[in-house]
Amino acid sequence: MTIRTVAATILILLGLAVSVSGALGILRMPDVYLRIQASTKNVTLGALPVLLGLVVAEGFLTPYTGRALIIAVLLLVMNPISSHALARAAYKARVPMWRGAVVDQAQQKSED
Amino acid sequence: MTTVYGAACLAELAICAALLIRVAFGPTVSDRIVAVNTMSTQVTLAVVLFAAWADRTIYLDVAIWLASFSYLATIVWSRYLERGLL
Repeated sequence: MTIRTVAATILILLGLAVSVSGALGILRMPDVYLRIQASTKNVTLGALPVLLGLVVAEGFLTPYTGRALIIAVLLLVMNPISSHALARAAYKARVPMWRGAVVDQAQQKSED
Repeated sequence: MTTVYGAACLAELAICAALLIRVAFGPTVSDRIVAVNTMSTQVTLAVVLFAAWADRTIYLDVAIWLASFSYLATIVWSRYLERGLL
């Protein structure tokens, strides 16, 4: 067990823990908007530590590094875009909010 | 390290199986899209970890393809929900 192996294992376990909690949020949250919130956490803090752990474990000058970093950048750029588009589409399609929701600022803005 | 890769790959697949519950019972289409989007991310990670477990870097190209094209499904579905097919 070198220190690189330990660091990579810790990173991968951190990513897995956040992924499990994000999946739990998607299963348990009462509303589509709150589920989108949970799923974005799943990508940024769930996927990136796993890819970083892979780079740390395999070493920097291996075929894994470039592709893992490309995947990290792709996920980091594209997931906010798709989450934003999905939330906007759900709001436009009038998916109801959770009944405990207290404020709808887009609604207030369109009334002004 | 191989054991960690294999176990993590199986764990990601278990997360995907749990998300299938939301795909099956999601009250609206948007809930299903959220679950499928997250599943595609987890599958990308599972393919990356499988490539490291089997020590075959060719599977990383599959993971790049998944990461770059899985978001298109979400974009197209959101556009469809927002303003219809065209």
